[in-house]
Amino acid sequence: MAVAAPPRRGPPVTNPTGPRSGPRSGPRPGTALGVLVVEDDDGDALLVAELLEIGLPGAAVRRARTVAEAAAMLPGDVDCVLLDLGLPDSSGTDGVDRLIAAAPSVAVVVVTGADDERMGIRAVASGAQDYLVKDQLDERVLTRSILYAVERRRAEESARRLFEAERRRDDNARMERALLPRPILASEDTGLAVTYRPGNQGAELGGDFYDAVELGNGWLRVVIGDVSGHGPDEAALGATLRSAWRALVLAGFPTDEVLRTVEQLLRTERHHEHAFVTLCMLDIEPARRLASVTLAGHPPPILLADDARFVADDLRGPLMGIIDRSHWPSATLELPERWSLMLYTDGLIEGRAGPDQRERLGEARTLEIVRRHHRSGAVGEVLIDAVVTEVEQLHGGPLSDDVAVCLVDGRWR
Amino acid sequence: MLFDLEVSTDDDGVVVCTIVGELDVATAPKLRQELVRLASAQGPAPRVVIDLAGVDFLDSTGLGVLLGGLKRVRSHGGQLALARAEPQVLKVFEVTRVIEILPVHDELDAALAAVRG
Repeated sequence: MAVAAPPRRGPPVTNPTGPRSGPRSGPRPGTALGVLVVEDDDGDALLVAELLEIGLPGAAVRRARTVAEAAAMLPGDVDCVLLDLGLPDSSGTDGVDRLIAAAPSVAVVVVTGADDERMGIRAVASGAQDYLVKDQLDERVLTRSILYAVERRRAEESARRLFEAERRRDDNARMERALLPRPILASEDTGLAVTYRPGNQGAELGGDFYDAVELGNGWLRVVIGDVSGHGPDEAALGATLRSAWRALVLAGFPTDEVLRTVEQLLRTERHHEHAFVTLCMLDIEPARRLASVTLAGHPPPILLADDARFVADDLRGPLMGIIDRSHWPSATLELPERWSLMLYTDGLIEGRAGPDQRERLGEARTLEIVRRHHRSGAVGEVLIDAVVTEVEQLHGGPLSDDVAVCLVDGRWR
Repeated sequence: MLFDLEVSTDDDGVVVCTIVGELDVATAPKLRQELVRLASAQGPAPRVVIDLAGVDFLDSTGLGVLLGGLKRVRSHGGQLALARAEPQVLKVFEVTRVIEILPVHDELDAALAAVRG
């Protein structure tokens, strides 16, 4: 890989750190800067040690005589290696490669002879942060070069971390699309609002998923589910089950058969044998007057009309993947003329609350929050965002678990 | 958050795990670790009772760890039982029907008797 040549030396500072002020900052705050001098000549090593004593009085300086010896001491507490390129056990710039291989985050400054500056440039191309010419060394040049190398290495490290974080966000976004698809809704009198917030301040996807499909015959079928645990395996499993659910529903299978097949898939696709899934499924008839609620170990949905209340909360359907020969009971619900049904995953009701966040929010207080925002006239996305935001405020910040909320609404036909 | 896990073994070799605090995504890994250790250290047929009297909150991660422990102990030919869940914790086992495969006993003695067989 081509490496752009770095600017020679550090920024033009008149007094880099003050020869006696010691390092301002190093990669390990609160500890002394660690410098490893790799030099086979005792006289040269002594000279460098004296220069460091003057230029970086707080530094912890250690010495190695060969590249092999130095590599064995890494990473230790070493921030910067000062590497002589004329060591008996290395040739050319291979010492740089070996040290970087031993400690990828360490800064390397090479020291060359006066007639060998080109080797210094090659060392920088190989990954060293800087090079110095041996007979031009003084404490100022040495200090500035080491501090600069450490800062530069640290900047490279942050850039790499940033890159990885961005890549992870991209992965998360890709997975989110698989977990949280575009619902298939045909009629204008049926609304769906959804929100999904990954847990752990957006860093980690869980396996929450949802989907909604309106079939050609007018039936509206909705699911929300939650794979136990958090992480990429759980998210992938959630995405698999979600698309299986959609395929089975589009193919017109009845609810019990859909759930039995989804469970079968869970048992064969899961990453460890006690992973389980809870879910809530709704089947709403074409006239939009009756809904069937099916729960598999999942918290009950909330019906919003004149008031807000839990429905089907006495259903005891087994969670999926653990109990053999499961059957999932359904409850039939008579819908009011205009209705909304809120489905959610347990992240919503398990946030913290109360003084010092010592309590858990729980179902009853969550219902109070939903009821209050519903009565204030909030609908659709505004309503669910207001609810989730208030739950987060009570929690004292972003929730640790991921949360999915779906709000379906409709009216009699 | 408050969490404490104590393990004692009675004269019959039955292990009692006493948990105090919240068994959730943050604390459940400690219990998992302990159950893995118990299942393999107890020799054949480990008998384990988990006393939940001090547990005031159980989430799905905690439930997953208990189910994993059950599976692990049974795979070693052993028995695992739960005792003394608070109502809000008991509800988790009821709503998910996990209670059908992992009984929760009202009294510690009943749980001890259950794993002794």
